[in-house]
Amino acid sequence: MSDLALMAHLMRRAGFTATRDELEEYLAEGYEATVEKLLNPGEPGNMPDDLIRRYHVDQSELRQLDGAGAYWLYRMITTQNPLEEKIALFWHGLFATGYSKLNQARALLNQIDMFRTYGLGSFKTLLVELSKDPAMIIWLDNNDNHKDAINENYGRELLELFSMGIGSYTEDDIKECAKAFTGWTVKNSEYMAMRASKDSIWPYGRIAWHYEYREDDHDTSSKSFLGEEGSFDGEDVIEIIVRQEAAARFLSTRLFQFFVADVVTSEGELVIDEMVREYFESEYEISAVLRVMFNSEYFKSDTARYARVKGPVESVVGTARIAGSYAEPTIAVTDLWAQTMYMGQGLLAPPTVEGWHEGMEWIDSGALVERVNFAAKELGNPDKPGVQSLINRLTEQYAGSPSPEEMVDGCLDLVGPIEVADRTREGLIHFATSLGEVILDTDDPSSDGRKKVADTLSMIASTREYQLA
Amino acid sequence: MNLKVPERLRYLKTIGIVNNGFNGRGFANPYDIVVSREGNMFVLNRCDPARRSAIRIGVCNLNEDYLYEFGYGFGDGPGQMVWPVSLAFDSLSRVLVTDEHNNRVTLFTSKGDYVSHWGECGTGQGQFDGPAGIVIDEEDVVFVADQKNHRIQKYSIDGEFIGQWGERGSSEGQFDLPWGITIDRQGKVYVADWRNDRVQVFDKNGEIKMVIGSQGDGEENLNRPSGVSVDSSGDVYVADWGNERIQVFGRNGEFKYTLRGEATLSQWAIDFFASNPDEMEQRKISNLEPELPDHLLTAYHISSQIEPFFWGPVSVHVDSEDKLYVVESNRHRVQVYEPA
Repeated sequence: MSDLALMAHLMRRAGFTATRDELEEYLAEGYEATVEKLLNPGEPGNMPDDLIRRYHVDQSELRQLDGAGAYWLYRMITTQNPLEEKIALFWHGLFATGYSKLNQARALLNQIDMFRTYGLGSFKTLLVELSKDPAMIIWLDNNDNHKDAINENYGRELLELFSMGIGSYTEDDIKECAKAFTGWTVKNSEYMAMRASKDSIWPYGRIAWHYEYREDDHDTSSKSFLGEEGSFDGEDVIEIIVRQEAAARFLSTRLFQFFVADVVTSEGELVIDEMVREYFESEYEISAVLRVMFNSEYFKSDTARYARVKGPVESVVGTARIAGSYAEPTIAVTDLWAQTMYMGQGLLAPPTVEGWHEGMEWIDSGALVERVNFAAKELGNPDKPGVQSLINRLTEQYAGSPSPEEMVDGCLDLVGPIEVADRTREGLIHFATSLGEVILDTDDPSSDGRKKVADTLSMIASTREYQLA
Repeated sequence: MNLKVPERLRYLKTIGIVNNGFNGRGFANPYDIVVSREGNMFVLNRCDPARRSAIRIGVCNLNEDYLYEFGYGFGDGPGQMVWPVSLAFDSLSRVLVTDEHNNRVTLFTSKGDYVSHWGECGTGQGQFDGPAGIVIDEEDVVFVADQKNHRIQKYSIDGEFIGQWGERGSSEGQFDLPWGITIDRQGKVYVADWRNDRVQVFDKNGEIKMVIGSQGDGEENLNRPSGVSVDSSGDVYVADWGNERIQVFGRNGEFKYTLRGEATLSQWAIDFFASNPDEMEQRKISNLEPELPDHLLTAYHISSQIEPFFWGPVSVHVDSEDKLYVVESNRHRVQVYEPA
């Protein structure tokens, strides 16, 4: 794999795909330096909130799901800290919290912001913040978890879905865990829960939520949890959880599947072993575990390349970044969230607390058509600034008159680089040949030559390989 | 020590309720307001994308009677709008509305009949790139904040170009995405120079007279001011949108005081709770002005959680009796203040 291809691979996984200009900047810094930059985000440089809010009233109020989803997509598309957004997307899938029950988009985005803040830090801190997160509290009913009448929902999912996985604890552990989180609720919980359940926005729109600890509703009794005894509260329980081998392996495996490969092979297990070791050595630091993963030979190998199906959000954001779309506030963003939903990943609206089923399950006939249509439309538009930039590079590379082979290979290189099967390449060349001679002698987007390049890019967007990360 | 307390406006009432339907009583992301000679409030509803087919101007009065509404829906056809920003009356009480997406000004009768529109996208005379604030003087000269062209343009009511001033920049007389605009009783033009975090004051020919405010959240500061209005004494009311407050300055630009909002239930809200008593009961026993944790202590977060405060105070308007109307886009209401 060339250095350029390796960098493109890293940016598809740790980010959402990089443009050629960005790849060249990263290459100048080197692979490991880029990994460090990703793991230590600076100023995000994304589209500022004031600009978003000025034009999009829905993204200022954040009452509705589509506006909130579009707001996050703006951030993903324009950020210069792609891993910060990508790790937030990872946690959103793992700690899946959805609008359907909350009817409170602001609270969901506050949760995403919490993932940005803590998502690369200590797993222990992250779980504590998650347990105090108002959206999670309402989502899994911890506002109904009282000293005299526990509700096990959050305690169960914390152990099963969020930290250790089934088989690592008992039913009694769940009950004791739930007791430890009694009194962890939201301010005005009864009124807020009623408004959420009735989807009430009256009289003046939503009232956002914040965490409240009610000492008088907290169970201070002695508890037995995962073999330890004490009058544990929620933070104590999390301290015990993160010390477990099961937690280290659960977290490492989920990170591996999200960032490296949908399917874990025996070689992959060795990487996970290293991630587990680093988890304990670093005292549960997520960025340290990711560093081991991104710098592993396995991640850099051909085996890991294209070993994941792009999720719908990755697909939409990556294509928008290449096309240079949505870099400024535009009314077109209104429909962007809906695109992720049509493709099977409605952002901020996971189907259940288990999140989305990933890998090949992203692809069905309906979703595939949506993915192809969206990408083909974006890359097939020669007016898009990113597409213009690609065509300008191609013009320079082939002195204004590329052959069909040169145009196909050049486009594959510039949108990736992407390697396609021989049969796919032959099909693309056949298509390019059918377009006739391509003359790139003007920067007018409506010119015949530039339209033909855009048509070729559009065709590439419909290939199987373009759907893989 | 100077203990003189400035004369302040006094909170009068709140008018509005979120309108989740498509028409009728209530507001949907209101963006501007003007008050007619008869005291009727014309409220411009920008509407979020889900409700955009109901983009309209709703007309009500201070007694909270919802009188009528008008609009021709979402789009670029005659009378239609996409991203309306601001409105103003001419001398015949007709209503002019700017649309920053369609790049034009649309003229309606006061009853809402479409009359005409003018403007197109561009940088030349008679063209706009995102027309925002609009105000009309006593001689029916129209002043428009042409935001992305970073200038103020002057037109006749029929759209005949008269003049312009300004360019992009942060020096005096330059603009960065200007938004709200007003004219005081002495004929001075006040522009909310949005991304320069200040209000600039000009004569009608564009000669700079005064600059009010600078970036920040202190007393003399502004953060993305979106609207401005002036009362009969010359006090200047600025919709300090980014700080979620109204800053009040004296005629010479000196800081006087801040309004943070103190909304109560409008009559329309009271009517809602009358038919939803369970929500009212829970509301009564809740603390709707809680202390917030440190990580939520930004103006935006505070306003999103404390209902009486302004949230998205996008526009201010002072009427002929010096009553102040504050339009809150995110809370779908208008808070009204009156002279003490």
